[in-house]
Amino acid sequence: MKYILLMSSTKEGVSRYHTWAQSDRDTHMQTLGAIMKELVETGEFVATQGLTEPNEAKVVRGEKNGLPVTDGIFPESKEFLLGYWIIDVAAPDRACQIAGRISAAPGPGGTATNMPIEVRRFADFRNTAN
Amino acid sequence: MKYILMMNGKRSDFEGYARWSKEDLQTNVAFMREFSKELKDSGVFVASEGLGWPNEARLVRAGSKGEPITDGVFPESKEFLAGYWIIDVESSQQAYAIAARLSGAPGAGGTTGNMPVEVRRVLSSHCDLGL
Repeated sequence: MKYILLMSSTKEGVSRYHTWAQSDRDTHMQTLGAIMKELVETGEFVATQGLTEPNEAKVVRGEKNGLPVTDGIFPESKEFLLGYWIIDVAAPDRACQIAGRISAAPGPGGTATNMPIEVRRFADFRNTAN
Repeated sequence: MKYILMMNGKRSDFEGYARWSKEDLQTNVAFMREFSKELKDSGVFVASEGLGWPNEARLVRAGSKGEPITDGVFPESKEFLAGYWIIDVESSQQAYAIAARLSGAPGAGGTTGNMPVEVRRVLSSHCDLGL
């Protein structure tokens, strides 16, 4: 079963990350790197990607003539995707276990960030689209 | 440059979608298949996935011993990712043009859904964060 683990935060949360000490950021990224390496070794790793910061984000709608109308204004409460992990696991519990480990990655001063990680299963359209 | 195009919806949007007629659903699915085919033919397609519905979504935090604490309760205003496309294009303008086509996908009753599509550039490395 494929799952996507989504890490999101508000603009405020992203600004806080900018105040972290470089050594804290390095420790954080090393932990995430070690988790990824483990997932590759267990064969559960599919993909991971980080996104650029919210100040670049746009919402696009199509006008009647199909031309894009872009908007870069978001409510304060808007949660921006920061990055994701795609995993292929044997059971839903395993997806939550991996998400828990990402949430436990160290933040400022080495304490766990305890960031909420959204766990979503991929849809199988071969079964649902008909 | 790689961009991710995200379709998000509140729980009420998903419930609305579940009430579409079979014809409207088929028209929408046919559009999405053609859209993905066009992206592949033009060489900009990287990946695309649809996600399971919000009722299956869980929020996970680490407990004090690192054990997962799961929670399935979200505020009404919560935007759930419905699906995404990753494309590799020359410019942000090209990404917006493709997002606009997606936004124009047929919705209920044959009208365009006019869904907002969130467009985000993906990181090629952490140098992109400018830290």
